[in-house]
Amino acid sequence: MRASLRDPRSQLLVSLVALILGVLIVVQIRSQAGDSGLAERSAQDLTLLVANLNTRNDQLRTEVSSLDRQLQALEVGGRNGTSSLNQIRDDLARIRAWAGLDPVAGRGVEITVSGAIDGHALEELINELRNSGSEAIAIEDVRVVAATVVGGGVGALSVDNEALGDRFVVRAIGNPESLVGSLTRIGGMVAQLAATYPDAAVSVEAIDRLVLPATKRNLTPSHGRPRL
Amino acid sequence: MSHLAARIRSIPSWQITLGIALLALGFLIAAQLAAEGPRIRYTTQERSPLVETAINLQTQQVTFKAEIADLREQIQKLEDQGQGTTQLVRELNRQLEQARIAAGLIPLTGTGLVLRLADSDQPTPAGGNESDYLVTARDIRTVIAELWLAGAEAIAVNGERVTVSTGVLDIGHSILVNSAYLAPPYQISAIGPTDMLDQLGKSEGWVAFIDTRRGHFGIDVSFAEPPTVEVPAFAGSLNLRESRAVAASPAP
Repeated sequence: MRASLRDPRSQLLVSLVALILGVLIVVQIRSQAGDSGLAERSAQDLTLLVANLNTRNDQLRTEVSSLDRQLQALEVGGRNGTSSLNQIRDDLARIRAWAGLDPVAGRGVEITVSGAIDGHALEELINELRNSGSEAIAIEDVRVVAATVVGGGVGALSVDNEALGDRFVVRAIGNPESLVGSLTRIGGMVAQLAATYPDAAVSVEAIDRLVLPATKRNLTPSHGRPRL
Repeated sequence: MSHLAARIRSIPSWQITLGIALLALGFLIAAQLAAEGPRIRYTTQERSPLVETAINLQTQQVTFKAEIADLREQIQKLEDQGQGTTQLVRELNRQLEQARIAAGLIPLTGTGLVLRLADSDQPTPAGGNESDYLVTARDIRTVIAELWLAGAEAIAVNGERVTVSTGVLDIGHSILVNSAYLAPPYQISAIGPTDMLDQLGKSEGWVAFIDTRRGHFGIDVSFAEPPTVEVPAFAGSLNLRESRAVAASPAP
């Protein structure tokens, strides 16, 4: 007897196979796209990732609250017909200070490097300061902004094309305790520099008041325009 | 022979379809088992909740960023409504707009370049270092620095705007930009002059990067020059807990 598709058993079999096939395709696609490779990370990597995400989310939560307050103040000012000039001035000062357009002052750390290191090492140090929560950074008198590039080999170090000697100072505003802790921890940046450049000395000092200059760069784009 | 051909022809088409479907089913089951294999091997009791926590935190992060972008847009609109009232408000709003652009708080569009970095598909040789064959935070930072040197005015990595506070960090084989977890491949979009690619080609640092990372380790570096490149606004926090502006300088 030849099986026919009209046979209910055959139809049931085909339906069952199609169902399993569909479920498996969906599971496969979801497993590829779902966690962006998180499941393949080690427990140590995941712990670090979670810590970073937590810190970042706390900062974002604070920013949301701050912006919410700013918005409410503007709305109240608009309803009452009172001037929002002070709010606009505050917002302007805050953004200019953050972007590096104005000089800033505050607590922080001073890192003195004596001895020749190369551009990669200095770039790593700046990256470490950013990751540790620095609010503003300057290398000697050059305020570090987004487009600041440090480079050069040992003995030919430069920042934004300004030559640096074998002794220079990096200043960063931010919580001094956490910055010192992050830089001087076991296996931290200072230890790494000491291991890579045994002839260079790196010292880190907490400072009560630092004043960092504004950037000399023009940060107004000429090829990009605001997207509407 | 003709007997065999006749037998094949006599097989009903639905049976052929079912046969193909069963083959696909077998393939998918095998693929699923292969994909699950390493995870089962490495799974420890604490990892599963950690993965879940990381995914939840990422979801929260996306929500916060959307909220921040929305709030900034509303604030900007309210501040703009002051326009036309007095000369002073108009001037302050103009400065505010310029400052926001300089800070990376406004999305930009313009000419530029899009680079794509992907992990090497070369197998790690015996005694080799696996991370040499993966895109690292240093690779991303090198490309960003080279793009600035080539004249870039705004850069984003997988949608994360590079700003004054941006750190790029390796955590195992993951990369964090602005503390956001990014998965490969990495797309680096840069707005700048139309000759950025030529400028990159003239840079010793770029040539050395390509020779080493692509030439020796097979990191996939590709690029595109679309008519317009879009770079999103920074949707993170303006962390200023310790800093105070000490003197207002003239507008940029």
